Amino acid sequence: MKALHNLTIKKFHDGLLNKEFSALEATQAFFEHIENKDPEINAYLSLAEKSAAREAEAADIALAKGEAIGDLAGVPLAIKDNILVKGLPATAASKMLEDYVASYDAGVIKKLKNQRAVFLGKTNMDEFAMGSSTENSAFKKTKNPHDTARVPGGSSGGSAAAVAAHMAVAALGTDTGGSIREPASFCGVVGLKPTYGAVSRAGVIAMASSLDQVGPLAKTAEDAAILFKAIAGRDPMDATSVEKNYFNNEALSNPKLEDIRKLSIGLPEEYFIPGTSKDVADAIETAIEKLKGLGLRFKKISLPHTKYALSCYYIIMTAEVSSNLARFDGMRYGRIRNAERGAQKLSDLYLKQRGAGFGAEAKRRSILGTFVLSSGYYDAYYEKAQRARALIKNDFDEAFNDVDVILSPVAPTPAFMIGEKISDPLSMYLSDIFTIPANLAGLPALSIPAGSELRMQNLEYGKKHQATKLPVGFQLIGKKWREEDILGIGQFYEQLEN
Amino acid sequence: MASPINKTELAHLAKLARIELAPDEEIKLLKDLAEIIDYFKELEALDTSRIVPMTGGTDLKNVFRGDDERENTDRGAGAELFPETENGFLEVPPVFE
Repeated sequence: MKALHNLTIKKFHDGLLNKEFSALEATQAFFEHIENKDPEINAYLSLAEKSAAREAEAADIALAKGEAIGDLAGVPLAIKDNILVKGLPATAASKMLEDYVASYDAGVIKKLKNQRAVFLGKTNMDEFAMGSSTENSAFKKTKNPHDTARVPGGSSGGSAAAVAAHMAVAALGTDTGGSIREPASFCGVVGLKPTYGAVSRAGVIAMASSLDQVGPLAKTAEDAAILFKAIAGRDPMDATSVEKNYFNNEALSNPKLEDIRKLSIGLPEEYFIPGTSKDVADAIETAIEKLKGLGLRFKKISLPHTKYALSCYYIIMTAEVSSNLARFDGMRYGRIRNAERGAQKLSDLYLKQRGAGFGAEAKRRSILGTFVLSSGYYDAYYEKAQRARALIKNDFDEAFNDVDVILSPVAPTPAFMIGEKISDPLSMYLSDIFTIPANLAGLPALSIPAGSELRMQNLEYGKKHQATKLPVGFQLIGKKWREEDILGIGQFYEQLEN
Repeated sequence: MASPINKTELAHLAKLARIELAPDEEIKLLKDLAEIIDYFKELEALDTSRIVPMTGGTDLKNVFRGDDERENTDRGAGAELFPETENGFLEVPPVFE
């Protein structure tokens, strides 16, 4: 039997329909591969063998009965550990939630269960999704499958590494300032941050609620489109989610070249700056040349307030973090054992539980967020940042009068070394300078590998990997609700590559 | 300019955030926060006097649900994670001193 874990969603679905394998056989093949491979990569925090087998069997039974099944039926997926799956742990890679087991399904998980998807396990991440390297996990360090001395990116590093190392067909991550796109770029997979409001945030452990979105990490743009369609749409449990009828939109996963050719692409001068590594600059240039070959037109544009995005983001995000993390009180979601020793009253218990339960970055952001919101500093920092956010959004609104899509790097460098930036928070924050603006403006953005030679072939089953050249992604930012533009360009770009 | 967060201010913020800090954590945080807040100074150059603040991620206003009966599933789910319970009540240390 051919190696089942190398499949895309599309190929998996065809194989299942043609009875080349059953969903249960495929799921077992994945767990075998994970058992061999994950000790080297550390992508997963927990595995769900029993429930995955049940889900796979249910998909097989539906197929045997002749029920209509969707593209995702039986497809083994990895889920970031800040997304709740009923009955499975959801630690958000924090000691604070070490013993927490989800008592309900997130909105996106409900939708995927209706499609009969299979959940292999929960993936490692930066604690509460705070970081760009997955080194802030309280439990383990995930390695980049292309070079295990390097980080996979973050915060959805476990999901990106799982997909890159074929330990899941595709995965879900979350993106607040680049946490899907940066690891996708570092690991050579496709990552989509949807429009704010396109996907439900219900049942997702919140980091910064005005910026967070759930999205897919996948091997191809087509797979990302299939998974996005399945999770998108209004959820009554998330008041900011909106129904845009993505599910019936054929253009998302089946774009037409004549439509894509009509799109014009803007190159913002503020995103092509010194300090971007040569590998990244070269990869972007190659991508632009190839897209020109497709007939797409390019135009230089300006997003003049880009340089304020990082400050703006780190004020708004930390303010929201300080509020969202307040719920972790050492009681409602489990307690750190022995941490409350000496606590006579409730306020002491809070102090000690939160002191023991949060890692350095969670503490840094909570305290910074408390500062920017505090009386005397609110106007100078928090409100100022909200005004800067409006200017950044206006830049995009104006640019999109002129062009349909914006192309830029995803991150200033390819994957950096483990340990390289962890002690210097500001240098870590700078990894996100190209991804943050799309979150502030609420726009959809896609990270797609610039070269396919680095995407799949390097990661054949069972080999040790020391890539001589690291993957680099480029970013496509689309108009609000226009995921079909960026995913469409992505799909034709991949066809050029193959 | 000196960082607006000195040792006393940090202790105050940590208390507001309900986070107990070890002495070595305080030293590292003072340094990190000074650098980060110094970076924020670039915003001072930006004239935002006539800009309406963007207060969230969405333009939606007043999202209501219908005033309908809703099925309540899993009431009390999650309570099993509570560290201390007695006769179905959740136990916490005294709130009032």
